[in-house]
Amino acid sequence: MIDALDKMIIAALQADFPVSRHPYRELAARIGITEEEMLRRIQQYQEAGYIRKIGAVLRHREVGFLANVLCVWQVPEVQIEEVGRIFAAHPAVSHCYARPAFPEWPHNMYTMIHGISQSQCEMYIQELMGLSGLSEYILLYSIRELKKSSMRYFIETELVD
Amino acid sequence: MRAILSVEDKQLLNRIQQDFPVHTAPYAVIGTELGMTEQEVLERVARLKQEGYIRRIGPCFNSHELGYTSTLVALSIPEETIVEAAAIINRYTGVTHNYIRSGTYNMWFTFIASSQAQLEQDLADIRNQIGMTAMLVLPATHMFKVNVNLHITEDRA
Repeated sequence: MIDALDKMIIAALQADFPVSRHPYRELAARIGITEEEMLRRIQQYQEAGYIRKIGAVLRHREVGFLANVLCVWQVPEVQIEEVGRIFAAHPAVSHCYARPAFPEWPHNMYTMIHGISQSQCEMYIQELMGLSGLSEYILLYSIRELKKSSMRYFIETELVD
Repeated sequence: MRAILSVEDKQLLNRIQQDFPVHTAPYAVIGTELGMTEQEVLERVARLKQEGYIRRIGPCFNSHELGYTSTLVALSIPEETIVEAAAIINRYTGVTHNYIRSGTYNMWFTFIASSQAQLEQDLADIRNQIGMTAMLVLPATHMFKVNVNLHITEDRA
């Protein structure tokens, strides 16, 4: 169970980590707990699966991944598991989810593909077609970024002021 | 102008994207692995943040394990009302990503809420505020990969 202290710790961990010798000590001090308690709880969260990973989030474009595309596929229901595993194994695929299809929207598999150029992304999609045997897909290029932020868990505001 | 990434910068960026040590001195641990001093790691990380390569350092949480629910939502919005609709939608802290994309469904956003009931309530509110529009609610049924690690090789940056 997540208790009140856990919520406080998880809220505190959503701050950008200090670039200093003892970042966990500083984060712990902000909420009045010891560094030992902070480290112990974080290990618990990792074991419980609350934390997916800890690390740096890079700006894609800055590090040379100039292009990305959301490619959505029509996959027969019985092949979902197999195709999902194949797509997930490709290094250019950063995210791969199955989602429901609708009569007006028959696509049920979503892959986010990163590359140094649009043509490299499209080459990767050719590879995914070859590996999966699928041919029904559409490319959804991002035209404009309207929002990109991190979720704030256990911080009691639903709306941004 | 920012400097070109050195081999050491790339090594550090590849290392620091995951398994950030849960340790009293995490930068010293990384330094030992990469053959750098703690001070050198701290200086490089500070510079890589300042130069914009690193957005943030910290944990990525699994929203479902924390009891939250999430979905992808697609809307078909007339071009002339995009700005207005985005202003309404982006006010929700649970909206973490929102993009205009090519195609009939042109606005794509992710929504994280504290419960399924809250999610449905918020989406109904959004629908009321922006008026009649085609909306697809697309919660993940299987998650095969969630990996934001970028492997930086010699030909990049």
